[in-house]
This record gives sequence, structure tokens and C-alpha cells, in this order.
Amino acid sequence: MNATAPNLHASGATISARSFAAAQGFITAVKVYWHVELFPAVHAEYEHRAAAAAATPETVDDVGQLLRESTLYQYFGWFERHMQRFKYAGRYGLVAWHRQQRRELLARLDGAAAVELHPELEMPRYYVSCDIHQHPGGVWSDDVAGFVYERAASTTTPLAGNKHADLHDRFTDVIGRECAAPQRVLDMGCGFGKSTRPIAEHFPDAQIDAVDLSAPCLQVAALDARNVRYRQMNAAATDYPDAHFDLVTSTMLLHEMPPPVIEKTLAEAARVLRPGGKMVHLDFYHLADPFRRFIHYTHGRRNNEPFMEPLAEMDLPGTLERLGFTHVRIEPFEETDGALAPDFRSWRFPWTVITAERA
Amino acid sequence: MHSPDPAAASSFTPRPEQIFFPDPSVDRAMGILMALATEVYVLRDRQLALERMLAAQGIVDLAQLDAEPAPAEAAAMAADREAFVAHLMSSVLGVQASKGVAA
Repeated sequence: MNATAPNLHASGATISARSFAAAQGFITAVKVYWHVELFPAVHAEYEHRAAAAAATPETVDDVGQLLRESTLYQYFGWFERHMQRFKYAGRYGLVAWHRQQRRELLARLDGAAAVELHPELEMPRYYVSCDIHQHPGGVWSDDVAGFVYERAASTTTPLAGNKHADLHDRFTDVIGRECAAPQRVLDMGCGFGKSTRPIAEHFPDAQIDAVDLSAPCLQVAALDARNVRYRQMNAAATDYPDAHFDLVTSTMLLHEMPPPVIEKTLAEAARVLRPGGKMVHLDFYHLADPFRRFIHYTHGRRNNEPFMEPLAEMDLPGTLERLGFTHVRIEPFEETDGALAPDFRSWRFPWTVITAERA
Repeated sequence: MHSPDPAAASSFTPRPEQIFFPDPSVDRAMGILMALATEVYVLRDRQLALERMLAAQGIVDLAQLDAEPAPAEAAAMAADREAFVAHLMSSVLGVQASKGVAA
């Protein structure tokens, strides 16, 4: 730097760690308010409008008709859409913050344990045509996208706060009850390893394989590889032999794929599982209450998750039985204490565990 | 099918943003408002941190800073406050500040 160069930090062109933390903390606090105060208020207004309606609302469209003119619902939608935009793409957004530290972050990846990458792997069109979660460039195209996603996921469910890790631990407990001592485990769509690490800890003697399309995410995952082999691969078309695994899992993967790919991925799970092997997925499924179903589906649109609704409308039990699974169970998942209690007023996703056994 | 080429992501064609309000200008004004709110919070956080650091070094007296200004100081601030309000509110009048083309 020469003597006359402007001080970029003082001019605000560089984001300080304190400013980033303050702005992200502000955004998260707005999101918490949205969950805890705005959602119940919209719900109350909906109940009021539904009571006055000529017919009981039954469909998502019925609910949409009732809320279309609601000023409160308009703000509710705006805040969900745009606070997520600010979180990622704002001046103090995750993308700007991580790009500013690109050199240091990429240096960290140099020390990562071995990860099997396949630069020639073709990214499916559905995967590259929509930036899920409003992450500019998606979770795959930028070298630091894995770090961006890792940081973003720490506030995906703002109500859980620091307990967000509990969600994965709780799911691992469910997995452990289904399959006590697997020798070979496949975690599909492992991302940056957040779902895989608790499974690897729970089964320290197992060989865990974890696959994902995103090289930047796999590289972050491999910073803490343990007994996991991270491989860049499409979960719908892996290279594993038939009947290779005792257990196949996924966490929040299915809702990111269109139904034909979901079906192909489940068929692949059936192929690589040994007879009697278990498959356990954690995802979001169909809500009986039309109001909450409406919020779930419109969230999919607001958060750039176009396949949330199609997954929730799929006949999963029928699909799984057709693909050669038995003992299919679709059960609600309590992601945090009290989340399934009838008096839980805040917005929560329809967390669901999908369990099946390879016939 | 696409290759995992970053250029594929950078060739993004901008799409129109989703609209939530009957008048789309409200959607955009809300964006400006929340950008400013974020900046206000970033500044507030920084100012409070500065105050704590200065107080820890005995440079400022937080109790004095937090107290209501004495009448002499309040009077001194009045002119500045009035100028601030005048500038903030004058746009409401809808009057040109320089001679120009009639509306």
C-alpha cells in the first residue's frame, strides 16, 4: 500500500467483524420477531377472516384468498423474503463478508483432509437454475460457498438459537433407535457435514460415506472428516455396489429436488441398501392444517425452494412401497423442546422423519 | 445439464423481485428503510462499544452522558434541532428550492 492510498477500513469499504456481527445480529433479531410475533398475529387475523368467510377454508388457495388483502400478511411476506436477502446479499451480508476473507478461507481448505472431488461431474439443471435459500450463486458455484452456507445455517432456525446443533443430535438419536450398529452408512446430500458429523460420532466404528454435489461444501466438511469419506457425487446416481450399506440417511435434502429426482434418489437408496437395511430421512412434509400448509408453501417461494411444495404433496408411502421398501413410517419430528405441543404458537417447519426398511 | 463452472452462476439474468404490497413502490421503499435500520443498528452498536471503552479508561462519565442535559446545554442544542427538523420536513411542502420549470 502506498502512502496516499485511502484507508478503506475507515471509509467503510471494508466490513469490520464488529459491524458484520452487529448487522447479522440485527437481521436475526428481526427474523425471531417474525417467528414469534408476526406469525401468531397473521394466524389470529386468518382465524378472524376464516370465521367470517362463507365457507370453511380447506385448500392453500382458500387461505391465500383470505389473506391477499391483509396488510399484516403483506408485511409478513416482505420481511421473510427480504431479511433473508439482507442476510446473504446485503452490504453486511454473508457473501460480502466471506468474499472479503477469501484468501484466508481458501488457505484453511489447503489443510483439509482428503476429499474426493470430480470437477467433471455435471450439475443438474434444477440445481443450478435456482439459488436455494437466496444464496447468490447457490451453494456450489463459489469457492467459499461452503463457508457461507455453514455460517448461514447457524441461524436457519433462529428460535433454536445456539441449540441448533441439537436438531442434528436429536435426529441422530432417531437414527440410532432405527439402526443400532451399522457397519456401512451413506449420508446423502451431506452439505458441509453438519448432518454427517453427529452420525459419525454416534457410530465411531462404522465407515461413513457422505456425498454431495457441491465441491465447496464438501471441502468444508472434510476439515473435520473423522471416520467419514467425503465424495462429490450425485446422490441419485452413486457408484456404490448393490446392497453395500446397512443404513442410508439424509437431512433436509429431499425438499431441494424435483419429484422425479426425489424418486430416483430413493430408488438409489433402495439399490445400495442391503435387504433389511434402514433408510431414515429428515425433511418437511404435508401439513393437515391449511393455514400452516399455506405458510409452508409460500415460504418455499419466498426462500427460493421451489420443491418444498411438490415434496409435501408427494405420495411418499406409495412411492417407497413401489421402490421395494417395507415398514414405512412418516412421523413428526420434535426439533426443539416443546415444538410439537399444541400451544406452540410460533412458526415452525413441518419437520418429519421418513423411515423405511429395504425389503 | 451444466458443468460446475462459476461462469454459469455469474451469467445470471436478473429476474424481477417478488412483490408483496399492492403498490410495488412500498416494497422498494421498505428495502431502503430496512437498509437504513441495519445501518442505524451497526452505528448504535459501535457507539455503545466506544462509550464502554472510553468509560473503562475514565475518559467519559457514563452517568453524566446518560443524564438529561442541563438547561444551558438544552438551549444550545435547540437551534441545531430546529435546523435538523426543518431540513427533514421541508420536502413535505413540495416547493421548488430554485426557480425552475413549473410542475
